[in-house]
Amino acid sequence: MTIYPFEYFEPKELEEASSAFFEHGSEAAILAGGTDLLNMLKANILKPKVVINIKGVPGLSGIEEIDGELQLGTLTSIHDLETSKIIQENFPALSEAASFLGSIQIRFLATVGGNICRAAPSAETAPPLMAYDAQVYMYGPNGERSLPLKEFFSGPGQTVLAEGEILTKFKLPIPALRSGSAYLRHSIRQLMDLAIVNVAVSLTLDEDSETIKEARIVLGAVAPTPMHASAAEKELIGKPATLEIFEKAAQTAAQESKPISDVRSTQDYRRAMVQLFTRRALEKALPRAAQKN
Amino acid sequence: MSLLGKSLTRIDALGKVTGETLYPGDINMPDQAYMKILFAGRPHAIIKTIDTSAAEALDAVIAVFLAKDVPVNEYGMMLKDQPVLCGPGSEKPFAERVRFVGDQVAVVVAESVAIAAQACELIQVEFADLPVVSDPLVSMQEDAELLFPDKESNVFIDYHILRGDVEKAFAEADVVVESEYRTPAQEHAFLAPESGLGYIDEDGRVTVAVAGQWAHEEQDAIAHALGLPLDEVRVIHPAIGGAFGGREDMSIQIALALAAWRLQQRGINRPIKIIWSREESIIGHHKRHPYIIRSRWGATKDGDITAADVEVIADGGAYACTSTKVLGNATLMCTGPYDIPNVKVDSYGVYTNNIPSGAFRGFGGPQGAFAAETQMNKLAQELGMDPVELRMRNVAQDDTVMSTNSTLPKGVTLDKVIESCALAAGWNNGIAGWQRSGESAWPPKITGKTKNHIKRGIGFAAAFKNIGFSFGYPERSWAKIELHGETEIEKVVLHHAGSDVGQGAHTVFKQMAAEAAGVPVDKVEMRLADSAGKEDSGSASASRMTFMAGNSIKGAGEAALEKWRNEERPAIAEFTYRPPATTPFAPKTGESNPNFAYGYVAEAVAVEVDVETGHVNILDVICANDVGKAINPQQITGQIEGAVVQASGYTILENFVQQDGIVKTPHLSTYLIPTVLDVPDRVESIILEYPDEVGPWGVRGMAEMPYLPFAPAVIAAVKDAIGVWFDEFPLTPERVLRGLGEI
Repeated sequence: MTIYPFEYFEPKELEEASSAFFEHGSEAAILAGGTDLLNMLKANILKPKVVINIKGVPGLSGIEEIDGELQLGTLTSIHDLETSKIIQENFPALSEAASFLGSIQIRFLATVGGNICRAAPSAETAPPLMAYDAQVYMYGPNGERSLPLKEFFSGPGQTVLAEGEILTKFKLPIPALRSGSAYLRHSIRQLMDLAIVNVAVSLTLDEDSETIKEARIVLGAVAPTPMHASAAEKELIGKPATLEIFEKAAQTAAQESKPISDVRSTQDYRRAMVQLFTRRALEKALPRAAQKN
Repeated sequence: MSLLGKSLTRIDALGKVTGETLYPGDINMPDQAYMKILFAGRPHAIIKTIDTSAAEALDAVIAVFLAKDVPVNEYGMMLKDQPVLCGPGSEKPFAERVRFVGDQVAVVVAESVAIAAQACELIQVEFADLPVVSDPLVSMQEDAELLFPDKESNVFIDYHILRGDVEKAFAEADVVVESEYRTPAQEHAFLAPESGLGYIDEDGRVTVAVAGQWAHEEQDAIAHALGLPLDEVRVIHPAIGGAFGGREDMSIQIALALAAWRLQQRGINRPIKIIWSREESIIGHHKRHPYIIRSRWGATKDGDITAADVEVIADGGAYACTSTKVLGNATLMCTGPYDIPNVKVDSYGVYTNNIPSGAFRGFGGPQGAFAAETQMNKLAQELGMDPVELRMRNVAQDDTVMSTNSTLPKGVTLDKVIESCALAAGWNNGIAGWQRSGESAWPPKITGKTKNHIKRGIGFAAAFKNIGFSFGYPERSWAKIELHGETEIEKVVLHHAGSDVGQGAHTVFKQMAAEAAGVPVDKVEMRLADSAGKEDSGSASASRMTFMAGNSIKGAGEAALEKWRNEERPAIAEFTYRPPATTPFAPKTGESNPNFAYGYVAEAVAVEVDVETGHVNILDVICANDVGKAINPQQITGQIEGAVVQASGYTILENFVQQDGIVKTPHLSTYLIPTVLDVPDRVESIILEYPDEVGPWGVRGMAEMPYLPFAPAVIAAVKDAIGVWFDEFPLTPERVLRGLGEI
């Protein structure tokens, strides 16, 4: 286990970080929490010539509510997501997802921006952030831009970040009244294991508290990138929230998913688990929506 | 006051929890150089050429050693079939072949770990690939590709038991149960991957300091490969980070010795250090044997088991290692600790291009017990009989003639462990025999809402396991005791070569030495874990160390006290304990006296199964283990709990995947061992103490025994919960869901 030598930078400003990143292009790696990067350096999967540690850049961490939106800094730790009151109350699926990420030691170090930029198909925080319609903000040589998170991933380990671009923050609209959400994940080992499937769902009910007005079903680990089960979402809208309609949407979600077979499980098992955990997540989210009057 | 039976605090506890204790990887010597071993990386091939020029051209590379540098290029505990280094140029026939991905091809010594790694990448090996044999059933066929062209077959060992008239007994049986069982490979995943140092000591001996299980065996293997007399080789075992059988065979030992020795010949006298990564460790050492066991048992309607016909096939992997003995155990244990008058067993150990199989806690016992106990539980179902009652009707006792046409050593307590475990798990022995009461307090009831998709069940199994080396092996253990003082004994010094692999052996040695000399424990000093100046004390394996070391310490203590009474000062005595002789299987009938002592165990397990995901959750375990005499009860409980945890991984989680000889699970992120959330919520250890006739102070070995009945007990519990028998494990969620027909 040998880490190849590299140059190391600790920029103090975002602009400085971005221009260093731009200058070295694909030979540079960004260090935030480091929980993933260090493993890849040790295993020689990555051999960057330059490592840019952005932990000293001000303004990149924190959880704040501003103008009806939640703003999450890219360096916010997974542990902070897990334990933040405002997230637990308004974005419970995100807090639940955070609680499943790695071990407690990892959660103190790992960052939400790192989890998203790594773009693992099974990334713990991606499904809930997408289910909450997160907008992702990037800063680069051409200034700031933003995108819906669902447009951020381009493949396993791939994102739309351009050279020199650094993810800076997420913005999530505070959910409407009568909204409920939930996150579930299934793995072979109870914890400390990659998910067979992870699911975040969000439901918003109509004023009658029965009809589904909005629905989000986001699946992880069963496609090259985290994905909306769009057809399943559509099936729910305008329907009364019943177990039957949930089961039907879950079946559709399973059909939409594109799982692979690997040493953990076969495609067939993953698809069956998409159906089961979509249904279970919807069942868990519904009473939460009904409570939020 | 006797210290036996007291939970003396472990003598190694403070050093280990404070980090003061040095494991081999923690030890650094002045001016040390670093070693890396180049693995073959392919499962079956002939090495045509090896070009080391680019590697050797690096400034900081000190040396590269190949097969031609090994004087006697072979090792192996039972058959010397494994080259130290694979490649052309040695006298060992066919040593230019690689037979599994972890075969060692080159040893690089350099000024840094990084340079050694870089040099390995620069070594050009030209391979000619051979067909890969990965399925033992294919490997057994007559036209199979031979791993060793100088052998007639890939079957390197076979045993046969034939007692009574099996076919007649089947014809007369009321019930017959037949199944084909498959058990998985398992990785030891001990805490400390292989690491160590090789150097020339102050007396000029080629020395390695490593974690091992049997210093004298390692000394012997090194001396043989280097062509040196034994006393020019020394093996030291500093603190050892777990073993479980995984350090029974050689890994880095011979390479370290070779490098230190060859460098000295070149006038370079420098210590050599190596630390394997977890991935190197997983590829580089042997695994638990995968088995295919085809088993047919017959019984009368009264539950009298009359016949067993079993075929046992062990995937030995690329080299024999300890397979011959592991297969012997499975041959013996596949018919269980039961009175079966008609038995036929045919067993085969087979080479494949998988990672070699070898020693792992239980040593063939868990696989044999899985088949035997599942057959018992299936028979109980077929007969409509309680599984405890069926066992009690067939349980082996002192006068029972076993499959080997011999009785077990006196003091068989299988009925006692079954009884204790069954009573604790809610059974009682009434007019209708053993039955479980519906009102049982075990397992604890769920309070609150229960979910429809969670099903609960319980299972029961028992087992026997030999203590010490079997089948005629010249079993022995040496100890030396010095008694110092004038009018009274002021100091006792124990010399012993037995290894403490983490199980607490040295703490127990101290208690036994104090008892043997009749002094308080703080008067005992110990000189341990170094082959120098010591005779062979045997391996820390086969649940033998407390038993064998205890007898040697007791014998040396008695002899030293005799000298003390004769006023010798200091009084010094050595003693080599040799247990009652054993004999190998007769070739056609298996007739033998295979073992001199056994331990007995029974377990009850409660599980819950999520029938929607297939997830098995092990709730509660009761283990009754006859240990003869508990020298240190806390350590005994620790061994029972540890065995249950390790067996939990084996049964429901650990899935070692090899495809065409390639390991698909070389990381601990893909080969999943249990965390605290995956192991039973509770283990109740019932320690029974029925003394063994030849054990020191009555001691029986115990460290493997709780492992054996665990998998079959879980299988029975899952059957109880969801109505499906599984003949293959681990019970991953997917396997369970497929068993339920849900996917």
